[in-house]
Amino acid sequence: MLSMKNISKVYQTEKVQTHALRDFNLNVDEGEFIAVTGPSGSGKTTFLNIAGMLEPFTGGDFMLDDVNVGTLSDNQRADLRNQKIGFIFQGFNLIPDLNLYENIEVPLRYRGIKSAERKRRIEECLEKVGLASRAKHLPQQLSGGQQQRVAIARALAGKPRFLLADEPTGNLDSLMARQVMELLEEINREGSTIIMVTHDSELARRAPRNIQVVDGQLADFTLYQNKAMDEIAAKAGQPAIEA
Amino acid sequence: MLEIKPVFNALLRSKAGAVMLLIQIALTTAIVSNAAFIINDRIDYLSQETGYPEDEIFSFTVKSFDPNLDLSQKFEETETMLRNIPGVENAGLFNASPLSGSGSATGLSLAPASERGPDVRAAYYQADENALNILGISVSQGRNFRADEVIVSQTRGVFPLVVIVTRTLAKELFPKGDALGQTVYFGSDPLKIVGIVELMKGPWLQDSKPDNVAIIPFVSASTFQHIIVRTQTKQRAAIMRQIEDLMLEDHSKRVIIGLNAMDVKKAEYNASDTLMLRMLMVLIIVLLLVTALGIFGLTVFNINKRTKQIGTRRALGARKSAIINYFLVENAMICSVGVTIGSIGAFFLGRVLLQHYSIPALDNMYILSTALFVIAISLLSVLMPANKAANISPSIATRSI
Repeated sequence: MLSMKNISKVYQTEKVQTHALRDFNLNVDEGEFIAVTGPSGSGKTTFLNIAGMLEPFTGGDFMLDDVNVGTLSDNQRADLRNQKIGFIFQGFNLIPDLNLYENIEVPLRYRGIKSAERKRRIEECLEKVGLASRAKHLPQQLSGGQQQRVAIARALAGKPRFLLADEPTGNLDSLMARQVMELLEEINREGSTIIMVTHDSELARRAPRNIQVVDGQLADFTLYQNKAMDEIAAKAGQPAIEA
Repeated sequence: MLEIKPVFNALLRSKAGAVMLLIQIALTTAIVSNAAFIINDRIDYLSQETGYPEDEIFSFTVKSFDPNLDLSQKFEETETMLRNIPGVENAGLFNASPLSGSGSATGLSLAPASERGPDVRAAYYQADENALNILGISVSQGRNFRADEVIVSQTRGVFPLVVIVTRTLAKELFPKGDALGQTVYFGSDPLKIVGIVELMKGPWLQDSKPDNVAIIPFVSASTFQHIIVRTQTKQRAAIMRQIEDLMLEDHSKRVIIGLNAMDVKKAEYNASDTLMLRMLMVLIIVLLLVTALGIFGLTVFNINKRTKQIGTRRALGARKSAIINYFLVENAMICSVGVTIGSIGAFFLGRVLLQHYSIPALDNMYILSTALFVIAISLLSVLMPANKAANISPSIATRSI
């Protein structure tokens, strides 16, 4: 359902070309839970941005549910993002002037879903993340873990095919991180496909499939065990790019 | 799609900037609509028809100091000399110059002074049968004075029996009937209205009744005598340059003062109005500019403050147009409340100005058009920064700083 072939991403400044991703190949099947790890600057976030159509790629083919992403216009990408992808960000990215209900409503409004259906979905999602009683609260009235649960509810409300999570527990203490992880696992069991970028190896191990991005290329977790890949991983400090 | 409710709720939760802008928009609407109205009123005033070919007429004053001079006879010769100057259409003695800010006025009544009756204030010019021709005005009803009706006298022992009045004065004196042929009283002297002219302004444009003017065929040459000259088109400046020499050549024991072109003199008289007009225009422009910059600045500030939020919205599926719409809707909300308050303010400000200054009642059309104009400016000011916001990359959402 998600397939990347020879994807490359080059950041071009006046004098320097930086290869954030090169010959990146990945296939993701429905219902997978993939943890993406890798050193800082290895291209994890760039990969996630491209997978979520948040930024364009330089070369290669990217198919998402049989749609060739490379040929889409900005509006088509926005619509596809809205329909197929739910985002969970490290910094939660809730809109501070909107209460929880309105925050979860944002992507549903962009999709043009009617008010009654929005209400049903929002209540359902708030229920799922255990914050149904706080719909009228503003984000700053919640703890970090609660805010991330709202962000997860927002990502779920659109019933996306993919959940893309960028360091979802990066700003949380270990207890809250575990709760969020458990929530993600539950969501995955219910059928959602999740791609999660994380620094936390313990967290990554809980995911059924682990992939590692090293120096802009993909290394499968099983291969990572091999010596050859250890060498690649050792080099990882070299081009420090965090997109 | 338009997100009216969430934009409104978000606005209510962070009001400070919006309220400041709202006040600014309200003040701008209130002040600009009144200022625009006053400007228009003044432009109407300054560009009003006076009835005279102002660029063909000039006047001057002759001070005679020859004690042995027969003034009446000398001035008759002077008039003839003036009329013979090439380029001069006509010239003659007047008691005052139109539009100059100095002249004479009286109350004309329907009954002699001994019987108290209603009286109508009117400015009057005293001159001979050439008066209308000199001023470039024609009679629209009735006739001009005949030469034999003109009284030339150094005293007021004999007073004329006829008068020519403006249409406005005629209507005020005889609102129901035809004024022509009726008699009015200048003190106790009866004057029969023999002619009516459509338009002829008095000496004071700022008078409440600048159109109430009468011409009385009476010439009383004095040692301080006004003379009005009408020239052919474009000849005036050349003739004005030589007039003093010609007058002194005609008689040396006199001084020529107050040589003024009619339009120039009128502009001097109206200088304070012109100044006010310009100041109000500057005020309006500055106010609109400040408001536009304020809206522009606040939007830019909001966008910078909400960069991450905009990126997040884009990541959640907002099209660029949805981001632009967000800012337009937000601005339209602030603006519509602002212009509503401003319009009410404009209405009351108009009433205050009406009570305290001689300004006509504010026309509501000015409030409406100012409100629409302010909304247009406001939307234009928000468009550019909103466009910039729409171009914020959605990838900013995943940046940790």
